Amino acid sequence: MQRLTLEDVAVRFGRIEALRGTSLELRAGEVFLLAGPNGAGKSTLIRVLLGLVAPTRGTLRVDGAPVRADRAFRARLGYLPESVAFSESSTGREVVSFFAAARGAPKKRIDEVLERVGLADARSRLVRGYSRGMRQRLGLAVALVAPCELLVLDEPTGGLDQDALTLLWSVLDEHRAAGCVVLLASHEIALLESRVDRLGLLARGQLVALGDPTSLRERAALPVRVKVAPRADADRDALVQALERVGTIAPVRGARALELDVQPSRLLELLDLDAAHRACIADLQIVPPPFDEVYRRLLSEAA
Amino acid sequence: MTSSTERSERAGAPAFALPFRVGRALAFHELRERTRDRWVIVISALFALLASAVGLYGRSAEGNAAAITGPSLVTLASLFVPLVALALGYDAIVGERERNTLGLLLSMPVGRTEVIVGKFVGRALALCLAVGLGLGAAMLAAAPGEARTLAALLGPTMALGLAFVSVGLLVSTLVSRQSTAASVVVAIWFLFVFFYDLGLLAILVATEGAIGDELVSSLVVGNPTGLYRVSLLASLGGENALTDLGLDVSLPSASARGAIWCAWIFGPLALSAAALSRRALR
Repeated sequence: MQRLTLEDVAVRFGRIEALRGTSLELRAGEVFLLAGPNGAGKSTLIRVLLGLVAPTRGTLRVDGAPVRADRAFRARLGYLPESVAFSESSTGREVVSFFAAARGAPKKRIDEVLERVGLADARSRLVRGYSRGMRQRLGLAVALVAPCELLVLDEPTGGLDQDALTLLWSVLDEHRAAGCVVLLASHEIALLESRVDRLGLLARGQLVALGDPTSLRERAALPVRVKVAPRADADRDALVQALERVGTIAPVRGARALELDVQPSRLLELLDLDAAHRACIADLQIVPPPFDEVYRRLLSEAA
Repeated sequence: MTSSTERSERAGAPAFALPFRVGRALAFHELRERTRDRWVIVISALFALLASAVGLYGRSAEGNAAAITGPSLVTLASLFVPLVALALGYDAIVGERERNTLGLLLSMPVGRTEVIVGKFVGRALALCLAVGLGLGAAMLAAAPGEARTLAALLGPTMALGLAFVSVGLLVSTLVSRQSTAASVVVAIWFLFVFFYDLGLLAILVATEGAIGDELVSSLVVGNPTGLYRVSLLASLGGENALTDLGLDVSLPSASARGAIWCAWIFGPLALSAAALSRRALR
């Protein structure tokens, strides 16, 4: 699978239009993040891909050829649902072994994948004794038990500690390197920004922004925060006057340091400060806006 | 696009695979899960305990299986087996929905009918174990010569259970909350096991018997519990057993009885499959 394309896909549940003609192309070897507020249509779009919801209109294509999300298509995907709760009376190994048997994976894969997600020591414990993070790891094991060409992870970061997040990042990297299409749906966009290749922002059933994180940052055109630490002997007021020609000084209560909001396009003007003012600066840090703010800006633009 | 052979090789599976892989895995998984369900265990154990008590009573009363143990076991089974069966069936689909695993299950390469059949087969096997345990306990406790007569109860008792597993599965497919499914199956149990016959009696009294014996007989055997009771009482006690008990019910032919059992077992199952196939997972 080189390209998976959703073409003008719409889904209607009675009077509710969950997706309104969304078109999207997912590529092999990329990790794609689907973001958006609750009710934006992320889960519906995933369910269309999984064959759980039939679109009212639109086409699903694999490498340009129209396909249905039928058994043959579903045999090619791995899936981790959001907040999945496996049977409490089964052991972790029994859960994975069921999905391995159902998907035709060899038995040796069961222990391999449990080892991979860090549940080897807990494999014989009942799921009711698992922590939230362990349950999420178990879900990941289920998604990974058979090889896939499309990996769909719905809110994969929920309940994961730092070790588990490191595991998730390595899973994403492996699948990217193996040429899989990886689709994530998550609210944790700030956490995932550096881990994904492209992201799409859904709002009210429509894709309102699409691109790599850098291009979306550029599109949002939010000011970057410049943190300036003046030297102890510097004339702070003169420095403030000079900096205000480049951006807006943000109030920082009780601190000698200055914080300046600068449009990215004007950032280079800081280099134009005269030598006297530059000499007043002991340290300077450029902090890009958190991706949450980019997300909010793009959503408000779309509204 | 990758060919199916390549996919199989990547999955480490043989190129030739038996059909209904997911359904078979699901049936095995369901059987294992159900045999750990505490409600199923408690009701089955209680049934086995009471059934063995009936067997012992029949032995101590020096009665024979046809006269005492058999009819008592039929009455006991007609109360307990539908309860075990409904407890086995009611959460089959709605439980998966609440645990958010239904989407995961249906996202596998499997048809929805196969999911229903896999669920049914696993739970039906668990029911057969429960029935076998209960009637087996009675046979062990009963007088040695009665075991063969009591063994004849196995088939119809399992059919009764399978019908209610199927009804439970249908409820589970139609409702969207497990608590609702539990309430509905309890209501169904009361309706079929207790109130149905009372309702018929009320109709007979209200109409002063004007509705006709044929219709009453049809209504009695239309209820799987009624069919189970009258057909076994007749087979244990002979042709006049029902009349001796004051039941003016004409028993349908063996093939008609088979058709009624099939309708009760496969009808709700087919409706479950149709309902799940039509339902979008929102």
